[in-house]
Amino acid sequence: MSGIDFSDPATIAFLTDALTAAGVSGLEISRPGGQLRIVIATGNEARIDVSATSQPAPAAQPLMTVKAPMAGHFCPGSPLRSPAAGRLPRTVSAADILGFLRVGPVLLPLCAGRAGILTKQLAEPDALVGFGDPLFEIEPQS
Amino acid sequence: MTQTFDSRPRFDTVLIANRGEIAARIQKACRQLGLKTVVVYSEADRQAPYGKTADSALCIGPSSAAKSYLNKDALLLAARLTGAGAIHPGYGFLSENAAFADAVEKAGLAFIGPSASSIETMGDKISAKRAMIAAGVPCVPGPDTALADDPAVIERVAEEIGYPVIIKAAGGGGGRGMRLVPEAGQLQEAVALTREEARQAFGSPSLYMEKFLQHPRHIEIQVLCDTHGNAVWLGHRDCSMQRRHQKVVEEAPAPGIAPEVIGPVGQACVEACRQIGYRGVGTFEFLYEDGAFYFIEMNTRLQVEHPVTEMTSGIDIVQAQIKVAQGDLLELAQADVKCAGHAFECRINAEDPDTFLPSAGIITSLAFPEGTGIRVDTHIHAGYKVPPYYDSLIAKLIVHAPTRAEAMARMREALAATRVDGISTNIPFLRALFEDSAFARGETDIHYLEQWLKQRRAS
Repeated sequence: MSGIDFSDPATIAFLTDALTAAGVSGLEISRPGGQLRIVIATGNEARIDVSATSQPAPAAQPLMTVKAPMAGHFCPGSPLRSPAAGRLPRTVSAADILGFLRVGPVLLPLCAGRAGILTKQLAEPDALVGFGDPLFEIEPQS
Repeated sequence: MTQTFDSRPRFDTVLIANRGEIAARIQKACRQLGLKTVVVYSEADRQAPYGKTADSALCIGPSSAAKSYLNKDALLLAARLTGAGAIHPGYGFLSENAAFADAVEKAGLAFIGPSASSIETMGDKISAKRAMIAAGVPCVPGPDTALADDPAVIERVAEEIGYPVIIKAAGGGGGRGMRLVPEAGQLQEAVALTREEARQAFGSPSLYMEKFLQHPRHIEIQVLCDTHGNAVWLGHRDCSMQRRHQKVVEEAPAPGIAPEVIGPVGQACVEACRQIGYRGVGTFEFLYEDGAFYFIEMNTRLQVEHPVTEMTSGIDIVQAQIKVAQGDLLELAQADVKCAGHAFECRINAEDPDTFLPSAGIITSLAFPEGTGIRVDTHIHAGYKVPPYYDSLIAKLIVHAPTRAEAMARMREALAATRVDGISTNIPFLRALFEDSAFARGETDIHYLEQWLKQRRAS
């Protein structure tokens, strides 16, 4: 069940409806990344509390994979950047654009999302990729 | 008959906008017709086996059906990116969504199903009933108009029909949005509650009222129509074995109904299809009580239980559906439809056999029966992970034999040889049901299974 995003409003609404329908007064889910608590009040109105935990972050950050946010054709790098700038491995910042998804005439930027060392490109240029397909791998900087 | 060939697009690639066993079934039909397939899947179905055997496979969204299999834009984008020329919606999800059918055709693709207007007409129970009455299809006693707001008018309608009556949402179906009214004193409250439910669940407060039948059976008629005005019916099915309005076991033909009784009903269905310009496959659902048929709704799509009709008629309904979408003429006339023998289908669900709660998890090993007159439609294998996000149907076990008694015996053997380990399934429940003497005699009504379960729990 680790794939469920408990901060997603649609998921929270679904859980709230299910609890209300089942006559359950509340629910609390705690995971390493945060906590979700839904309390159904007597008037059937829910109080929802989504919070990040204050637990210390793990010492070793895992590898991060940049995934496709939707289906499209994968375009690594940038048409404006020199080929040398696309060499791997290289240091990237969270805001760096690593490539694009081409959907018809639209180019959707693919952001690194976190600073680190870009070590791998996981899809071939112009490959058709789907939602969630891994595109890049970023290692944390030591 | 004058043949007017329309300009339906021919296609060589079909995008399958569904999952599970029906995705595998559609893929098989496409392959047999020499068509390429595109499988789209959610993240939860990333490892589905039919994705690996497709010509293209594309993840279209997260596990939630609302963000993947019900996401019209993601499906249309996937069709565009993969060059698909047609979309097969299967059953459930967007298969009876008129807006989706319309969007598919406006995108220049073929929707393998009826037109958006047919879906819309038959999706509204009041307009469907009106169309059926016009075509001479027998309907449940009650007006073919929406229920008025005036309490006095509502009372008068109920008196004319005669209690008990049932209040139904015009946009409902599948057992949802309905309320039984046994006597006049409960009428107004039932109307108010159902109207509010209909408003919230179906987006329309429109209701209608019908006579409530006490002990009906659920009988359906399968139709197949091309785009040139040709239509046939492929026999009938009995789907009375239901739990909470969900079919559990289906059979064809419906036992104990003489051909001269059902024949005119089948012909009326065909005539209704011609009148509304229906194309593709569809199912007319009826309640049957005391020798009379009463239309309840039409399903404008492929049914889960289509295999029992395929087994008795020898016609591949999915292939026929795809050929119609290509603009082909029907290859058979009514006289060519010859149903033979008897078929049963058991829905094998990933659920607890006693509580019927869904059971997700990894299938550690499994065994399915093989042999003459046995068919298994499934997508599962050892190591397959049953996701918790969708319908619990994991396989359909279908048997065919010369007689009903022989088909029942074959199903008992087939169920005995079926094993799915690692998760709970309803197989023990199905085995017990096929030992029941009343079921073996046939002609049980739609309430029988609930009563049988109640007695079983009590003993």
